[in-house]
Amino acid sequence: MKVVQVKCPNCDLPLNMEMKDELFYCSNCGTMHTREAQRVEQIPYEIADFRKDTLIDNRVYIPFWRLCTDFRIRSRDVVGGFFDKLRQGLNGDNGSGSLYIFVPASHMDTAAFRYWAVHLTLNNPRYTTRADFAGTRRMPASTSRDEAIEMADFVALTLEAEKPGVLQYLDYSLTVQQAKVVYLPFMSSPSGLHLAW
Amino acid sequence: MAEIKCPKCAGPVQFDAGTRFTKCSYCSSQIYIDRSGALFYYAIPFTLSESDAVGTFKRWAGGSTKAKDLDKLAKITKVAKKYFPLYMFRRLIDDREEVLLEPAASTVLPGLHQLKLPGGDLQIFDAQFNTSGAEMVQPDIAMTHYLTTLPGNAKEQSLVYFPIWELEYQFKGNTYHAVVDASSSEVFASTFPIRSSVAYIAVSIAGFFAFIGEGLLATVNLLAGTALMAVTVAAVFVASLYVARRL
Amino acid sequence: MSDRLSVGLNCPSCGGAISVTEGESTTNCRYCGSTLYIEGDNGVGTVVFKNKLDRDAAIKATQVWWRKGFKARDLKNVGTITEVYPIYLPFWSIGTRVAGWVCGYEERSTTDSKGNTRTEKVYKEEMVLQDLHYSDIACDPGDLGIRSVPNFSGEASFEDMDMIPTFESTTSHDDAIANAKADAIERGRESANVPNITFEKFHVLVRKVSMIYYPVWVVRYTYQDRMYMATVDGVTGRMLSGRAPGDPLYQSLAVTAGTSLGGLAAAGGIITLISFDSEVGIAGVILGLIVFGATYWFFRHGSEIVQGEFPDRKELSMRINGQTMMDRIRGLRI
Repeated sequence: MKVVQVKCPNCDLPLNMEMKDELFYCSNCGTMHTREAQRVEQIPYEIADFRKDTLIDNRVYIPFWRLCTDFRIRSRDVVGGFFDKLRQGLNGDNGSGSLYIFVPASHMDTAAFRYWAVHLTLNNPRYTTRADFAGTRRMPASTSRDEAIEMADFVALTLEAEKPGVLQYLDYSLTVQQAKVVYLPFMSSPSGLHLAW
Repeated sequence: MAEIKCPKCAGPVQFDAGTRFTKCSYCSSQIYIDRSGALFYYAIPFTLSESDAVGTFKRWAGGSTKAKDLDKLAKITKVAKKYFPLYMFRRLIDDREEVLLEPAASTVLPGLHQLKLPGGDLQIFDAQFNTSGAEMVQPDIAMTHYLTTLPGNAKEQSLVYFPIWELEYQFKGNTYHAVVDASSSEVFASTFPIRSSVAYIAVSIAGFFAFIGEGLLATVNLLAGTALMAVTVAAVFVASLYVARRL
Repeated sequence: MSDRLSVGLNCPSCGGAISVTEGESTTNCRYCGSTLYIEGDNGVGTVVFKNKLDRDAAIKATQVWWRKGFKARDLKNVGTITEVYPIYLPFWSIGTRVAGWVCGYEERSTTDSKGNTRTEKVYKEEMVLQDLHYSDIACDPGDLGIRSVPNFSGEASFEDMDMIPTFESTTSHDDAIANAKADAIERGRESANVPNITFEKFHVLVRKVSMIYYPVWVVRYTYQDRMYMATVDGVTGRMLSGRAPGDPLYQSLAVTAGTSLGGLAAAGGIITLISFDSEVGIAGVILGLIVFGATYWFFRHGSEIVQGEFPDRKELSMRINGQTMMDRIRGLRI
């Protein structure tokens, strides 16, 4: 066992983080990295800008893994949902192609996890990015990239299963081409969290 | 309790079997105990006395699969209190921690080659450890014999003495062996006199079919069917009570 | 071999003494504030539950237990408690999140008024998304009859650790995690409740791994010449496990009742089958066999009453093609 000082792999300055976070963020040069045993890896990330009218006090950044994937369905068996099948047949849509999957990187309960993963994957957010957090609070990440890739598979399957008809069999492949952390702007209010861009 | 020197102030620091982190009582610096290169000797204390062990054996011998009244008829001819040695290796194999158990002494006793380490309060085995008069079975297999062939990297290796009561008993002219684990009271035996289920099955099946027959009869002749049922109830009760008590 | 057994923990930046909590991989130096990372194995977080029971309460619980169920009638008079002591047992406690989909169908048979049976397939696609808790004893349980943590809530305190003998963890951390994952998939599949599975996919994330030390009172007692053992939960005072002598009278009463009721149910079933040719008849025969089988089992093995998770415990399980008898009966949908 060895205790090491966490230094930025880019600018070599020691880090001084107040909270426990799987993602180590260097406030000096803005590099983000993860550690597993002796393996240090830089993680590409984006920070989305807040809507101007969001109250400063209510602002919070929540990290998501945005996985750029290639989702290919080789064969499937769906019972029912006749009209949907017909439509797919006419359009030649076999459900394959690239897909941006969003997986929450912070801890969320199962309902919130599912809602945000499915919602953001179906409606990919468009936002303007900024260079730093500008002192805004951010939730710590607790999901590693490997875990996010596992969950991406679940999200892709959920989209497929929630189409009309009852899914009986699916032969598919999901390959992750790029993984990036995206900090999305949220507004915390008594009724829960809302997107704020 | 074992002792190490504090890496900072060189003061003596005591630690227990399961400790990973401890604090030096002199300079209060935190210390991590690295077990990967050392061999630890542990022992589990006896929680069963000789009479407890015999009683536990009798409870086991009274079980439903053992010969009827084995607990009363078995003549115990030998009771020995022993510490049996086992190697416990904790290793990192392909990034996975695995616990491997290997015998440290050759034996023909039942249960001891199943290679499990009974649960217990592991204590450091040193000169102060009270073996309470148990015979220490000497390790006759060297640890290096295993170390050279085991996969992965060492995290910890230890020799654990676990407490057993070895029993020898006679039943109907044959000699049997049983081992009572003196920490968690488990009884090991490879062979033992068994009880036949024939009488149990005979009574139950006879009763069951008699009632089916009588039930069918009752639809034709209610009186005769009911009368026969009453007789069968009494017969099954008496027969089964006899079987449960005596066979 | 190395003679260096101890590693002092200091901040690599300022040299100040640091404290590391077992199971945490990062910490901050309290002097210079540097973020520190712990490389290599530093164990798992430990929780110790405070013992809430005393000797008398453990004895009392055992004596109350003696009177319950089909134990020997004279146990409460003849049984003698010889030894009572507390121990700490180690348990792996692992929080997981299982996510997946199970697709397949259920077959339902319906019988119309003319007695024609029709089987229809009800197609199902079920999502599984749950946070689960898994626990398993971290040493060999021997004859204690305990495998999982009795309950997850209790006052945490290390103060009894030195007073109460503590069973050491002797199983592998990674084996425990692998078992927790397998358990999560098993439970996820069960919750989906799809009898015939045509497609399934599960993912399991391990959320938190910790070691719980749970206080358990061991009570030894004698009955005639035999020595029995029972365990009492040191937090709630509930009986956890134990063996106790049975009574031939109960065994005999059980088989008498079982053969008569079972036989009559079967007879009723046969009559129904002959006169109405209905599935109710088959159900009657099966019901009769179950009653008969269960009571036979008690007759044969009821000389010892066992409570708890013992490896040699004789379970009454009648499974046909993976379905239990009860499922079969329910499946008939009379």
